[in-house]
Amino acid sequence: MNTVIIWIIAPIAAALLLVPLQRFPKLSAALASFFALVLAVSAFIFPTELVLELGTNPIILEDSLNLFGRSIQITGIDLKMIGLLYLLCFAWNTLSHFFRISQWFNSLSLAITALWVTVQFINPFLYAAVIIELIALVSVPLLSPRGTPARKGIIRFLSMQTLALPMILLSGWMVEGIETAPSAQELILRGALLVTVGFVLWLGIFPLHSWLPMLAEESHPWTITFLLTIMQISLALFFLKFLNQYAWLRNIQGLNLILRFIGVTSIFAAGTFGIFQKYLGRMLGYFFLAETGFILLAISFINQDGLEILRMSLLPRALSFLILGFTGSVLYQLTGTEEPEVDSLRGMIWKYPMTSLLLIFNSLNLIGLPLFMSFPYKNTLHNLLSSSNYALMIVMVLGSLGLLVLSLRIFSSLIHPQEQEDLPSLMLVDKEHPILIFTIVMIILLMVVGGIFPQLLSTPLGDLLQPFQNLIQ
Amino acid sequence: MPAALQSFFSYLALAAALVNLSRRKWSLNLLALGIQSLCLFPALTSILSTELALIQPFTGLMVTLILYITLISVGGIEPLKWNFKLSSGEVFRGLAGLLLIAMLRAFMPVFQPAVFPQVPSQHLFLSLGLVLLGSLQVGTIREPFYLAIGLLTFLAGFELLYSALEFSFLLEAFLVTVNLSLAIVGAYFIIKNAESSSE
Repeated sequence: MNTVIIWIIAPIAAALLLVPLQRFPKLSAALASFFALVLAVSAFIFPTELVLELGTNPIILEDSLNLFGRSIQITGIDLKMIGLLYLLCFAWNTLSHFFRISQWFNSLSLAITALWVTVQFINPFLYAAVIIELIALVSVPLLSPRGTPARKGIIRFLSMQTLALPMILLSGWMVEGIETAPSAQELILRGALLVTVGFVLWLGIFPLHSWLPMLAEESHPWTITFLLTIMQISLALFFLKFLNQYAWLRNIQGLNLILRFIGVTSIFAAGTFGIFQKYLGRMLGYFFLAETGFILLAISFINQDGLEILRMSLLPRALSFLILGFTGSVLYQLTGTEEPEVDSLRGMIWKYPMTSLLLIFNSLNLIGLPLFMSFPYKNTLHNLLSSSNYALMIVMVLGSLGLLVLSLRIFSSLIHPQEQEDLPSLMLVDKEHPILIFTIVMIILLMVVGGIFPQLLSTPLGDLLQPFQNLIQ
Repeated sequence: MPAALQSFFSYLALAAALVNLSRRKWSLNLLALGIQSLCLFPALTSILSTELALIQPFTGLMVTLILYITLISVGGIEPLKWNFKLSSGEVFRGLAGLLLIAMLRAFMPVFQPAVFPQVPSQHLFLSLGLVLLGSLQVGTIREPFYLAIGLLTFLAGFELLYSALEFSFLLEAFLVTVNLSLAIVGAYFIIKNAESSSE
């Protein structure tokens, strides 16, 4: 047995098996969730020595697989990372059959997760750039289902992802032998520039973020939140891999300051542009942009436990996006509109109080208000930034204020009914199913408990950053 | 292969990319894409063995075939009419492409030794020319068919450049997969657009 076969090849095979079952959404969702859960749980519980004692014969897993002279290697310390990615896949697949999304979601989401796992562990790791391009291409049926023409967002997304590919591949070649070169400052700058532009294109970081709100507007919230969440987390880990592998990159003078600047600018841009948005989907895109900013900010404090903050933020952030996708999808379903505007939510709280409440709470959670699960890591980042650079701190606060205004706009729409309508009666509450109400109450409780006891959401990912030994030291 | 002949094929590939950038006739664009793919072969044989040099042109032809079959299925292929009446947009794109190629040619003697000293000049000129024309097409076009052609041109240029820097069977396999997937995505967009316009 081999770790690569278990966590990469088997899920891709399972995804192919799910293709004929796409006409049976419940079965397909159940099977995809089951596969993802088994893969996630096994990754979390498997011993790092890759030896499983079952009876008298221990099962020893090999940790690499050769492909055309290159290899994919998954060692024991990498399993937490895999567990996290399959956990995301499980979470999004479990509820997928409740929403009107692409029938390919279950099989493709499993394949996409397996591909993101490949991205983390392929050797040479620069080849991951091509796999990321493949992921973008595989995501197309989910982002732009049949029945609608291809729109601007998907086209721009594909263009940006393709443009990033050469940047990353060439960066590796550009700095080959840099460790031994006597004077390599120019090469280092070229390599760093290529890596930076590549990641900016991939993640949709300001100022090349235009595809992010467009795509979020055009796609179903459940699908887009899955794709963007797994992409954001995987690319953050992949960026850490770059820093871990390339001493020349992590030793660049002022790299932390540059990352901090890009991160804060992204948060500011998200807050500023977010205020003026009409469509809920675009707002979702700007929340993603802001969170990418926070990830960069955490990485920029690498010498002050920034990686610990990043690890602490991963589950709360993923959960927040899951909730955002959930509320967005429920509202799509309830309002019957494909692209809800903020104004179309008018008076919604009187008709669907629990869903509306969840939307409000989650927006406040994403801003980092106390008592919610995003507060601990955002508060730590605020403190670190205020002690290191006051000007950037002010810019970040302005960005956060923009996001707060955005949330208040949503809140205002939810509580104010249409002008011609009377205040609706709370008797209409029965439009929300009791199971939905129960689920929402549990989610809100989790958000609050996660805020009061942050270790609850960070402990499961305890050894996640073990593979990045050069960064931890 | 004599240098003059190799140079001729390079210019032919760039001319095909320029046709794809400027003209908006599906049949002509597919023909140009096929010619562009075939013209990469002489450049590739100068750095790779014949068997390996065949991979990229062959993939290019497969891609052209996928797009051709898709266009036939949606009734998008018309017989070629050789009228040279150009719209203002076509003239603009053509001139912009020519300007880029001219600038690239002018900067090549400085750029090549400074950044890519191990890549032959003619090879670098062809690859960067395709990258530039592909990027220009991606940046100026919204229709999925032309976007697919733009991205394929961009990737063809990059693959050509990278093959002179490093060759790996795994990377080659991945890049072939990306090219074919891109063609399938292009076909998917064409069908989607045809379906939604007929509704």
